[in-house]
Amino acid sequence: MEIRKFIFKRLIEIFVIFFVILTVLFLLFRLAPGDPVTRMVDPTMTPEDAAHLIAQLGLDQPIWLQYIYYLKNFFTGNFGISFHYGVAVFSIILNRLPNTILLFSTSILLSAFVGIFLGKIASWHKGEKTDTWMTLGALICHTLFLPWLALILIWIFGFNIGWFPLNGMISPEIWLDSSSGFWLKFLDVAHHMVLPLATLFLIHFGSYLLLMRSSMLDTLREDYILTARAKGLTEKVIRNHHAAPNAALPVVTSVGISLAFSLGGGALTETVFSWPGIGRELVFAVSNSDYPLAQASFLLIATVVLISNLVVDVLYAYLDPRIKY
Amino acid sequence: MALLTVKNLSVGYHTRKGFLKSVQGVSFALDQGKSLGLVGESGCGKTTIGMAIMGLLPDNATVTDGTILFEDQDLLKMSKKEIRQVRWKKIAMIFQAAMNALNPVHRVSEQISEAILAHDAEISEEVAMKQVESLFQLVGIPLDRMRDFPHHYSGGMKQRAIIAMALACHPPLIIADEPTTALDVIVQDQILSAIKDFQNKLKISVIFISHDIAVVADVCDNIGVMFAGQLVEYGRIEEVFDAPMHPYTKSLLASYLTLDKDVVQLNSYSGNTPDLIHPTTGCRYCERCSVAKAVCRLRAPEWVEYSPTHKAFCDQC
Amino acid sequence: MVERFLEGWSVYKENLIGKIGLTLLVIFALMALCSFFPPMIDPMYHPMTGVDPNISHSTSPSWRHWLGTDFIGRDILCQLLAGARIAFMVGISAAFMSILLGTVIGMIAGYSGKIVDTLLMRLADMIMVMPTLLVVLILSSLFGQLNIWTIVLLIALFRWPGVSRVIRAQTLSLKERPFIEAAKVAGASHFRVIFRHIMPNVLPLSLLYMTFRVTSAIIIEAALAFLGFGDPSTVSWGMMLQWVWKTGHMFQAPYWLLPPGICISLLTLSFYMLGRAMEEVLDPRLRKEIAQE
Repeated sequence: MEIRKFIFKRLIEIFVIFFVILTVLFLLFRLAPGDPVTRMVDPTMTPEDAAHLIAQLGLDQPIWLQYIYYLKNFFTGNFGISFHYGVAVFSIILNRLPNTILLFSTSILLSAFVGIFLGKIASWHKGEKTDTWMTLGALICHTLFLPWLALILIWIFGFNIGWFPLNGMISPEIWLDSSSGFWLKFLDVAHHMVLPLATLFLIHFGSYLLLMRSSMLDTLREDYILTARAKGLTEKVIRNHHAAPNAALPVVTSVGISLAFSLGGGALTETVFSWPGIGRELVFAVSNSDYPLAQASFLLIATVVLISNLVVDVLYAYLDPRIKY
Repeated sequence: MALLTVKNLSVGYHTRKGFLKSVQGVSFALDQGKSLGLVGESGCGKTTIGMAIMGLLPDNATVTDGTILFEDQDLLKMSKKEIRQVRWKKIAMIFQAAMNALNPVHRVSEQISEAILAHDAEISEEVAMKQVESLFQLVGIPLDRMRDFPHHYSGGMKQRAIIAMALACHPPLIIADEPTTALDVIVQDQILSAIKDFQNKLKISVIFISHDIAVVADVCDNIGVMFAGQLVEYGRIEEVFDAPMHPYTKSLLASYLTLDKDVVQLNSYSGNTPDLIHPTTGCRYCERCSVAKAVCRLRAPEWVEYSPTHKAFCDQC
Repeated sequence: MVERFLEGWSVYKENLIGKIGLTLLVIFALMALCSFFPPMIDPMYHPMTGVDPNISHSTSPSWRHWLGTDFIGRDILCQLLAGARIAFMVGISAAFMSILLGTVIGMIAGYSGKIVDTLLMRLADMIMVMPTLLVVLILSSLFGQLNIWTIVLLIALFRWPGVSRVIRAQTLSLKERPFIEAAKVAGASHFRVIFRHIMPNVLPLSLLYMTFRVTSAIIIEAALAFLGFGDPSTVSWGMMLQWVWKTGHMFQAPYWLLPPGICISLLTLSFYMLGRAMEEVLDPRLRKEIAQE
């Protein structure tokens, strides 16, 4: 029951934050140089369509009413028409969202699990070669420049060795062929996902590894570890059953903290790999001055960050019995 | 045959400033069913002895001399695997500051049954849990709190759970290291009664480590007084309390205000803690001793026996 | 103050990571300084405008151009050196500004408590939730092409929350100390208490965080430039990567693709190492002790 109250409270907070962001965007939209109308309405539209859109978006109204229209449109999913694609923005971002979520959540889960696992092992062998190599490796991977790493991976594995496609999420031939089964399509996407996933993974697992390692070293000094040892348990049981669950908790927290940063990296990855996600859409839209699409993409990403934060908090509450709500 | 015989035990720690000789030449014996109190101020080495018996000394510690015979086997010569089998099943430990002795992410009952299951390969989980139930009843924790997490327990309850855990494998020896220090007086009393209770009922030997001589007097049959890593007096409780022989023991006893005597001068001692990295060759208590003589500084004292069970490490008093 | 620094320095020196970090930083600083020389030798070495009259496409390393040339014949090494200069400039200024902002806000929040504190921390939370890179992107879509100093300012504006939390925590614990009471009793105004008494004590922490902020500032600027939203009149490493990518040379020109990325990563690594070593100096618990008691 208490978890539900907590979730509810957080949803309200998220709502408030969202509201503030919306309002700030709205104000910036008005304050920015240039004509707001041409920013939202494609100048190449026919006058009738343009007038219709202007009325819908309330761009001809006084500023107070514009704000109301803005909010109303937002909550009914009317984000305008994309200049570049010529269709409703809402349908575009809805189409892109699952792709981003697929890549993003897979990469976070993979980096977190592997990072925690390796960090645990590194702490066991503290001071030995295994530890030194792992720590060094984690450090170097962590400081690599993401787009550059992506380019290098494409160059080596895509271009030179030719194991993986150079970009995109799907091979059109497979998807257009009506006889392709589910598994074929699934494998195709997975095949395309390897390189972008590898890029995100390499950049992020390092920090989880380093954090888990130091967390384990701290945890192993706790009194309850001495008790476990006194009980005659083997070192393996002590590390895995007693120390690791406690040591992993701060790492889960750090996943939450770094979510915003991970999404920025996600947008970069999508762009380099032409992975059709929201991040790439945002970058495209900004390059093409397609403001309606840019605004909606940005807001959607903000929502994803906020909701992911909530998910991580709930997960943490589930894992740590000391947390009470 | 004594249950535990410690002979000439010496332990030291490697520190940045040098090798700290924390325990020097300590010997005592403990019979089955009897209890021993090890008393002394902080840093005198009493906890180190407890840890050495359990094999839980930290990495920077070394046993430089001596043997620890438990049921006729030298614990110091055992392999890691053998020690793990001895731990808890034969010798269990109750730590100080129960605040953190239980793992916060596991339920209390699980942690106790874990100890049972680790030392009995044939027992099933249900049977182990039944044993946990009877342990809880023994120490007086309501059964409906069994599946709680440690942070739900009060300080006194946690310590009782720790006692229950120590009793889980019915060990012949329990080492209790300052088990009541972190608790308030009323709870202290309850815990001490609990310890006395299982001692009598289950005939378990207890080594009770404390800096509080009054607590030890309540619970133990024998007492060993330690100072600067050495045992300075040993004997039955009545003997040592009625007729303390070593100057340090005398000053310890005199430092206590009792309600049934007249107001006595409160004895506090002067001097710093002795240097254990470069200990003196003479008597280590010399600096603080009120009856020290010139010879005390030059050579180590000798044991003087006042009765078959009572001896003191001072030949000048 | 000076002896604290010297004491810190002796601990720092023992730390291998710190030494490597510092060495790398010195190398990069030298690179940045050297960036002024090549154009003085010959105008064709100017990173932005210098074009080799004989070359009009990307060529591999040669005696005239040690790292080769880019797609219109500009010397890559010079661009690399100029990039070092930009990286330091952006990194340090953005970090400095965000630390300044974060420290002041953190101190005010910690010291004032109640409403001011709550408001400021709520603001910090909201800003922290936003991916900085994407925010700058959306702002550039509104305001057009951004100039390098605007980018620096924006980075600083979105990176202060992390620092402010820590400084606030530190301020909260310092607030209760006797010497603050004494100052207040002596009649010091709030302003004076904050800046004369609290600030010197939180400064070491601020400096520590500055090293970490530098790394994120460099990365964000590089990412922006890479995507094409940087300042077109500055040659940064991110910009170099953008050119290699957009002109389709990434598969044929490793001499062009590799150096900028390696530099970004190494510079980031060296600041990170510096920060970690400094952490050991400032937090005695982390120092390598041979044995515990």
